[in-house]
Amino acid sequence: MKKITLLTAFIGFAICSFAQSADEIVSKYFENIGGLDKINAIVSVQMKAKVDYGGMSIPIDMVNLKDGKMMMKINFQGKEITQMAFDGETSWSTNFMTMKAEKDDSENTENIKRAASDFISPFVNYKDKGYTVELLPNETIEGVECFKIKLTKKTILSEEKEIPNIEYYYFDKENYVPIVVEQEIPSGEMKGQISQTLYSDYQEVDGLMFAFSMTQKLKDGQGQTIVFESIALNNKFENSIFKFPGE
Amino acid sequence: MKKNLYSFVLLFVVSISSAQEIIKIEGKELFGDLKARQIGPALMSGRVSDIEGHPSNSRTIYIGTAGGGVWRSQDGGVIFNSIFDEHCQSIGAVAVDPNDPDNSLWVGTGEVWTRNSVSIGDGIYKTNDGGKNWQKMGLEKTERISAIEIHPKDKNTVYVGAMGALWGDNEDRGVFKTSDGGKTWTKVLYLNAFTGCSDLVMDPTNPEILYASFWEYRRTAWSFNSGGLNSSLHKSIDGGKTWVKIHTGFPKGVLGRIAVTVAPSNPSILYAVVEAEKDTEKGLYRSDDAGVTWKHLNGDFGLTVRPFYFSRIVVDPKDPNTVVKAGLSGSISHDGGKTFKGLGMMHSDIHDIWFDVKDSDKMFVATDGGLYRSLNGGTTMEIIENLPICMFYHVSVDNQTPYNIYGGLQDNGSWFGPSASPGGIEARDWESIGYGDGFRVYPHPTNPKIMYSEMQGAEGVWRYDSEKKQVKTVKPFPVTGDPKYRFNWNAAITTSQHQPDRLYIGSQFLHKSDDMGNNWKKMSPDLTTNNPTKQQQVQSGGLSADNSGAENHCTIFTIAESPLDENIIWIGTDDGNVQLTKDAGKTWTNLTMNIKGLPVNTWCYHIEASSFDKATAYAVFDGHTKNDKNAYVYKTMDNGLTWKSIVTADITSFARNIQEDYKNPNLLFLGTELGLFITIDGGLSWSKFTNGVPAAAVHYIELHPKTNDLILGTHGRGIIIIDDISPLRELNAEVLAKPLYFFPSKTYEMDETSTFGGASSETQFIGSNPSSSAQIKYYLSKRHTFGKMSLDIYDSNDKWITTISPGKQKGINIVEWGCNSMAPKVAAGKTIAGSAMFSPRVPAGKYKVVITKGSEKFESSLELKYPTNTVFTSEERKLQEATTKVLYDMTEELAYLVYEMDEYILHSEKVMKENASLKKQALKLNTDLNALKDVLVVTKGDNYVGAGEPQLREKIGDLYSTIGSYYGGPSVSQLETMKMLQDKLADGKKKFQLIKDAQIGKYKVATEKVGITYVTLKSFEEFVKKN
Repeated sequence: MKKITLLTAFIGFAICSFAQSADEIVSKYFENIGGLDKINAIVSVQMKAKVDYGGMSIPIDMVNLKDGKMMMKINFQGKEITQMAFDGETSWSTNFMTMKAEKDDSENTENIKRAASDFISPFVNYKDKGYTVELLPNETIEGVECFKIKLTKKTILSEEKEIPNIEYYYFDKENYVPIVVEQEIPSGEMKGQISQTLYSDYQEVDGLMFAFSMTQKLKDGQGQTIVFESIALNNKFENSIFKFPGE
Repeated sequence: MKKNLYSFVLLFVVSISSAQEIIKIEGKELFGDLKARQIGPALMSGRVSDIEGHPSNSRTIYIGTAGGGVWRSQDGGVIFNSIFDEHCQSIGAVAVDPNDPDNSLWVGTGEVWTRNSVSIGDGIYKTNDGGKNWQKMGLEKTERISAIEIHPKDKNTVYVGAMGALWGDNEDRGVFKTSDGGKTWTKVLYLNAFTGCSDLVMDPTNPEILYASFWEYRRTAWSFNSGGLNSSLHKSIDGGKTWVKIHTGFPKGVLGRIAVTVAPSNPSILYAVVEAEKDTEKGLYRSDDAGVTWKHLNGDFGLTVRPFYFSRIVVDPKDPNTVVKAGLSGSISHDGGKTFKGLGMMHSDIHDIWFDVKDSDKMFVATDGGLYRSLNGGTTMEIIENLPICMFYHVSVDNQTPYNIYGGLQDNGSWFGPSASPGGIEARDWESIGYGDGFRVYPHPTNPKIMYSEMQGAEGVWRYDSEKKQVKTVKPFPVTGDPKYRFNWNAAITTSQHQPDRLYIGSQFLHKSDDMGNNWKKMSPDLTTNNPTKQQQVQSGGLSADNSGAENHCTIFTIAESPLDENIIWIGTDDGNVQLTKDAGKTWTNLTMNIKGLPVNTWCYHIEASSFDKATAYAVFDGHTKNDKNAYVYKTMDNGLTWKSIVTADITSFARNIQEDYKNPNLLFLGTELGLFITIDGGLSWSKFTNGVPAAAVHYIELHPKTNDLILGTHGRGIIIIDDISPLRELNAEVLAKPLYFFPSKTYEMDETSTFGGASSETQFIGSNPSSSAQIKYYLSKRHTFGKMSLDIYDSNDKWITTISPGKQKGINIVEWGCNSMAPKVAAGKTIAGSAMFSPRVPAGKYKVVITKGSEKFESSLELKYPTNTVFTSEERKLQEATTKVLYDMTEELAYLVYEMDEYILHSEKVMKENASLKKQALKLNTDLNALKDVLVVTKGDNYVGAGEPQLREKIGDLYSTIGSYYGGPSVSQLETMKMLQDKLADGKKKFQLIKDAQIGKYKVATEKVGITYVTLKSFEEFVKKN
């Protein structure tokens, strides 16, 4: 019932949409997904998901904390493998050859530290974080006319240089939720190519709308989808699940 | 400007007018997953027109290309990515803003190397984010931009050299200046409507000082003129407010094209390359006083050759005496221009040179055949192998599986290559079948080993046997009483759909051979206007004679034999005639005057004879060589008596080619200078196709009759394929109104070919293959954003097979299914059992597709079949499928066995920790279970060279994937191995049962007695469940 109320609200917004600023669009986005107060009250998000890959359905458990700690664990052939984690200081992953934990390079760790304040959405308190937004001309993507917002975040490190950290958000004009986020790949052999993340299957969790499907791909390429089976807010977690297990 | 952008993203509208039956579609809201793949190739690359680098970061390099847009490398010139796909692909100049060199870039469109086949530009563009978003900044009518100079302290002050129209008078040329970042422009130097700014440079130390060369030039379809009294060099010292002519020391009289540059390390030193009347006065001039006086230094061939194509001179940023001149081979001087030597071996026709800002030994060179780099100051050159910017004039296909693609390239010969190849379509997959400039290439319609190709002006017309590697020249020669044959630069050749050995070629006459080019018959009179004033090519070129054949005129350009009747042949000529014979050439009718609204003498670029009706044909005319950039596309349904224009305002540039669909007569594809347009209502409205098709010039389109693939021959972005356009045939107002519509699916032939292949290095371009998966195609009238959406496959007995991620966009969605069911549940071990990850292929048959969107369900079906071309019997296939199933079940039985044991092992470990009284009993159980587990799965080592010895899990997995991935029957040996593994599995189960019988009953009683929660096991069905 609540969901219907939210959807009705989207339609309401769609009707009264007219020339708006990037800031207004961001505000409406937060309003439409349940409100900034509710978002600010969240301290943890746990997502249980699965990825279908080559006939295998791989379960994934992801935890993100407000302070930036995060952990992503997969279950593969009955083994639980931490594929990516950040304990506040160290970003690490599991080497598939040895099945042992290894630290990320310092540049990647530093970039993850800088993204720590992007919990739930980088637009939360974006001005306080020194981020800027710019409304670009509308674009049609996924067949939908969207507001396109350029979000400039803190710089990141790439190949030992500070480089701009820019994301392009496409907000569906009808309901103000982001359906695509684009970013230029900042380093490596794919440097310069555009990666896209597609969001859909928005559903309500404790009064907030979350995308339950996320597809990552190269622009014009094939994607890999993660489908979330459940999203739980404000669960408590032991620090040990994020912690780098040691040398 | 804004209005255009908004109209570009108008909401999806299906407006149906019952009177007109217009089905207006917006491409970005319809085409969805119908995407093109660019297959290059890149081995011969294409013409690069301009190179520009970051002023301080030598890792960042940009190139502008003749027809392939703008590319950027951020790794010092190893890998390049296209950053300008959505805009005009003909590039004149690229400029990095020195005020914000990481982000700001200007691109002036319209190439300035004005050969006959040069494209046109549509203005100047700017990006402030490194090329992710572009904004057009005006100067739309300048046609070609030769240079952009940006004030080093003020990003809003920019100077632009505009060459203006090549094919006619226009006033949008000269030097333009903006002081507000491109919002408004002022023409600060203008001579007249036929003289444009061909070079513009700023003093690197004083942005108020500018040098601008002006060139009087003109092309027609039949001639070229370089030079006139207005060609000149000018200097401003006040930011373009006033200019003075600086010719002291220059030749007197008529001048042609002038290249000019300033030495970056010493702005008093200038170099100019001047085209003049006298040979002794042509060539390199140097000034040591900032242009006050000039001294002639060198008139070598490398300095004077073809000024219209090679007027670029570049000075080493560190050394004012190291000078490089573009040219046929490129020349370098280390003594200030006194003497030159050639650059290293590379493709000929050099257009630009770029020195690395930090190391002058490292340089990049732009050629007709791609971009080269040198690490030793230009002595040896290596080509960049990932620039698929080749320039096709034409494309054709054969009927092989996979089909081959044939085509000819600007200055890069003729080629054929596959539409699919193991590991992707690589450079080595392409075979050369012609020299010079390549144009029309055709396979013999029934003999796949025979093909025809040609070079410019039909100087060579070849029949090639690709098996015997033999080539024969099959060009027709005049016989007694014949005049000289006039062949177009891009001479019309075609084969026949009715007579496999037939070949047509057009001079001013239509020639026919019925024996693969051995013997020829003229089957028409001169079908052109035969205007003698347009046949004076020997006088072409202006100050520098240039009679290459490129201006040959009054020739047949297109030949279209009706697919329904071999006696019906349509002819189009470059001087605007459309002629028809209905009796195999006995009589001809000139239909030109019947085409209302078509300006006289407009080049007939293509005629498409309809495959639905003998009296129907389409004709595409290109007027750009008369300075007319409108599209002219006509349709006749009465043998050319009347013609109707099918052009709408949707089409934004001139057109060259049209392709009619074979099934839906209202579905047409139009190749224009700015990309591909599609109509689904017979031309009442058109929509631009952008999914992977850049705004490149589409010179030719072919639709494959078997695969329904649309193949585009682009002049700058190589071959582009849109696989299977059949969904477009289904689109009508009724379909577009449905919430979800499944397009009818063909029966998919499952792919059984090996996955071996791929020998390219990391830096070489590889064209992607078509999908080998079964595809589920549907149209969604609205993007799915809220609530769950899933796609499931069931077999004919409604048994669930697998789940696939559905596409959710508005428009056409294509979901791929590799025809696999789910992989088995695998026993947990210390390591990963790679071979057991294998998901078995489903048998041929009918499958049900169910899309669930919230509470709604949509169903369709899909049929799979085994390959037609196979050596496997159905008995072998049945045995393979049954054996795979046995091994699949064994894998899962073992997984469950190990799962049960693991649960007891874990429990016993807990008991040992928590209850000392049961420790001994738990330890015994734990030890016995672990001992058994050691022979069932790998319990030690890693996933690489430290791997433990393979155990039962690994052995079953190896056999399972080996048998599962070969679609013939398993061998006797394999079945014997399976029997052995079955026995081992049974033995494992038996041993576990013995442990259970001997220990677990008692263990359960003992643990429950002390209040420890006992093991709770999932049932087997629950354990292996996958959905």
